[in-house]
Amino acid sequence: MKELRRNMRLVGALVVIAFIGLSAWFALTVFEQGSIWASNSYNTRLVNTGARRGDITDRDGTLLASTVDGERTYLSNTAARRALAVTVGDTAGMSGTGVEGYYSAQLLDIADSPLERLSALFNGTERKGSSIQLTIDAKLTAAIASQFPSGYRGAVCVLNYRTGEVLAMVSLPDYDPCDAGGDSVEDTAYLNRCLQGLYTPGSVFKIVTLAAALEHDPDVVNQTFTCSGAWSYEGGSIVCAGRTAHGEISLKTALARSCNVTFGKLAYQLGLQRLCETAQKLGFNENFKLGDFALYNSKFPTEIGNTSDLVWAGIGQGTVLVTPMHMTMITASVANGGQMVKPWLVKQIVTGTGAVTQTGAPSQYRQVMSQSTAATIAQYMYEAVESGTATRAQIDGVKVCGKTGSAEISDDKSVETHSWYTGFIADAAHPYAVSVVVEQGGAGSKQATELAARALKAAMEYVG
Amino acid sequence: MRSNTRLLLSAVMIFQFLSMALIAFSGETVSRQALILAAALPLCTMLASNLLGRLWPIDRAILILVLLLASVGVITLSAIARSEVTPRTHAIYAAAGLFAMTVGAAFIRLWKSWKRFALPLAVLCLLALFSPMVLGQEKYGARNWITVIPGLLTVQPSEFIKPVMIMVLAAGFSNRPRFVKCLPTLAFAAMCCGILLIEKDLGAVLLYFLTTVFMFYAATSNALLTLSGLAMGCGAAVLAYKALPYVQDRIAIWINPWSDPQDVGYQLVQALIAIGSGGLWGMGLGLGSPRNIPLYHSDFIFASIAEEFGLIFAVCLLAVYVIIILRGLIVAMNARTSFHSLTAFGLVVLLGLQTMLIVGGNTKLLPLTGVTLPLVSYGGSSLVSMFFSMGLLLGISSMNAEDEARDIEQLALREEVMA
Repeated sequence: MKELRRNMRLVGALVVIAFIGLSAWFALTVFEQGSIWASNSYNTRLVNTGARRGDITDRDGTLLASTVDGERTYLSNTAARRALAVTVGDTAGMSGTGVEGYYSAQLLDIADSPLERLSALFNGTERKGSSIQLTIDAKLTAAIASQFPSGYRGAVCVLNYRTGEVLAMVSLPDYDPCDAGGDSVEDTAYLNRCLQGLYTPGSVFKIVTLAAALEHDPDVVNQTFTCSGAWSYEGGSIVCAGRTAHGEISLKTALARSCNVTFGKLAYQLGLQRLCETAQKLGFNENFKLGDFALYNSKFPTEIGNTSDLVWAGIGQGTVLVTPMHMTMITASVANGGQMVKPWLVKQIVTGTGAVTQTGAPSQYRQVMSQSTAATIAQYMYEAVESGTATRAQIDGVKVCGKTGSAEISDDKSVETHSWYTGFIADAAHPYAVSVVVEQGGAGSKQATELAARALKAAMEYVG
Repeated sequence: MRSNTRLLLSAVMIFQFLSMALIAFSGETVSRQALILAAALPLCTMLASNLLGRLWPIDRAILILVLLLASVGVITLSAIARSEVTPRTHAIYAAAGLFAMTVGAAFIRLWKSWKRFALPLAVLCLLALFSPMVLGQEKYGARNWITVIPGLLTVQPSEFIKPVMIMVLAAGFSNRPRFVKCLPTLAFAAMCCGILLIEKDLGAVLLYFLTTVFMFYAATSNALLTLSGLAMGCGAAVLAYKALPYVQDRIAIWINPWSDPQDVGYQLVQALIAIGSGGLWGMGLGLGSPRNIPLYHSDFIFASIAEEFGLIFAVCLLAVYVIIILRGLIVAMNARTSFHSLTAFGLVVLLGLQTMLIVGGNTKLLPLTGVTLPLVSYGGSSLVSMFFSMGLLLGISSMNAEDEARDIEQLALREEVMA
């Protein structure tokens, strides 16, 4: 019997531990994810909570969404309303990433304290949800959308690379939030391509390959490469755009002129392990936990079958995929001395009674490359804008650094390439980074580069 | 009655009265049924506690907490069920449960010849478990129900067998048996699990298996064999995963319910949304809409409670289970015969495991298995059987108290003689 008691005491202790574990798991998940679950678009409670949905404003206080007489209203200007739709979202729950959906628990204050709810019940007042101010600039967003080459699809993402504020997200095709869920809206219009669009990066990925080379051997800057327009490695070959022979070139010129042969050789020289290590340090294959919005994982292969795959991965082809937001974050860290800032979207959340419950603030994500590597890459990107492939990105009066890209998305060139550009203004007064993708915009990146220049100019004009 | 038990009783009665009164007056018209229950719940609690407490020296705290759990079930169902029939039926089952509890307590007190009846009871268990295969129909993917009165009363034998099986196991494992002597009892448990597996009642299989393992360990202290038994169970689980497609589905839903939130993942997604909507303080009694969750009243009642009452209340509810379990373990440790000790232990372990399984399933800690939240979920078989089990536990606690009183008397007598 004594032994029986001892065993039972042991089991009793196990039970207590198990229940404490269960309660802790339960409490922690509710605490961490409860409001995310609650604001899920499958939550039918959100339709009639009795609370008035709070307002959404941009960084200047422009009202982007508000509730008037029980009706949710957005900007009256149709073009601007459509341009901001993927950022702001809609009450029909069509946009998976928009603020209306992602923050509906706050906008409706379903996690309100019972005290406030009781007092509202007794006073007979209508409960008002929290209002959210975004870091987005509505004018800038609308301006970029209006400049986007008509008839094309794609994404533009503008960040402040010092603070991490998201200034604009444009994704085309767009939709009218007043018509969300309607038959006339194309399904992919609900995607925010900045966050959810996984694109083949093409030559803009050379920034990553260059970072890997500089991080692993800073002397690589003195190496010269020979480009005869094409390079045959075991099992295949790689060519430069238009089979242009760049001749004997330095790494700097190779980036400025976007020489595929040099970067293919560089990737080959580095090997998969080093390339992959740097790519992952820069956030590839990483599940970013940014808090303010959900960002899809960019992908870089961790295992590669043959040389061909490695060489092509080095110039951003093959299975490499990146979201425009992530590409902007990489460019932003080049501009910011190798420090990747955490992008944020929500400036402030204020409850219906006026209490501030959340304030956004700049924070570092992590140091993704050394300061000297960042400085070298920035210098090379400046060269690309001054005398290389990105001369169209020049803006009078400020120093612009950038990199173009044309991503092959078919094996037989039957489909036009995606036109890419990523770059920034190297000026402390205008710390803006931008990425542009014009889907099937054609080789030469003309479309994307010109749009990027206009977007940065607009950012200088509207944001300062 | 000790004063803290009285305090507990008053607190429980006030909770029952206030919640039911709130439900009665929250609608546009005053609900008569809720008003009646507002009076009936505290009255029944007081009567049961006093009558049973006077009759036998039972552990009143366990009794009051058991009644609290049952009333949480009635209250939650009154607040959320579509019609008034569901809470009414549940209250009637709970009344039947009170009767079953009294029967259970009386039974264990009077039943002295358990050694002789273990074998017939084991046969009865197997027959009862087997009956749905012949008489039953499939419900929610499991074939574990039989119809007793068509259209009125369906019964789930696997629920009623639980306490009986624990008594059979306790009889088999009593008096520190050697392993060879345990074998027939283990074979019996394995047969029970086998039948339930064929009936696709996975939750019950898991409960029966783990309860057996724990009881075996307590009785024999043989850690090695217990661990190898657990390892065999894990092996069987892997085999089940490989062989049975519906197990694979369950696991896939558990790992990522959001991959298909409108079809297979619907249940769990809606449960998580409900829990998230409830937040810390809950949406308020009757103000949430947990009816979006399929089976909100039985398998997912914990998620419903979390939505209505909030996280803090739900964690307190878990604490109530822990207190019942701990007090039950004390009853087991104080029992005078190893049969009674093991019976009390088995009942308590089963209660704990079942609560863990379903709460873990509701909160995505464990894959979902269709078992009820003991004493709270809607469902007559489970409620009445659980009340019967708690009756057994209370009966054993009263025997302990009587034995202790006798000891003290004898001690006093001896001291008198010595003096």
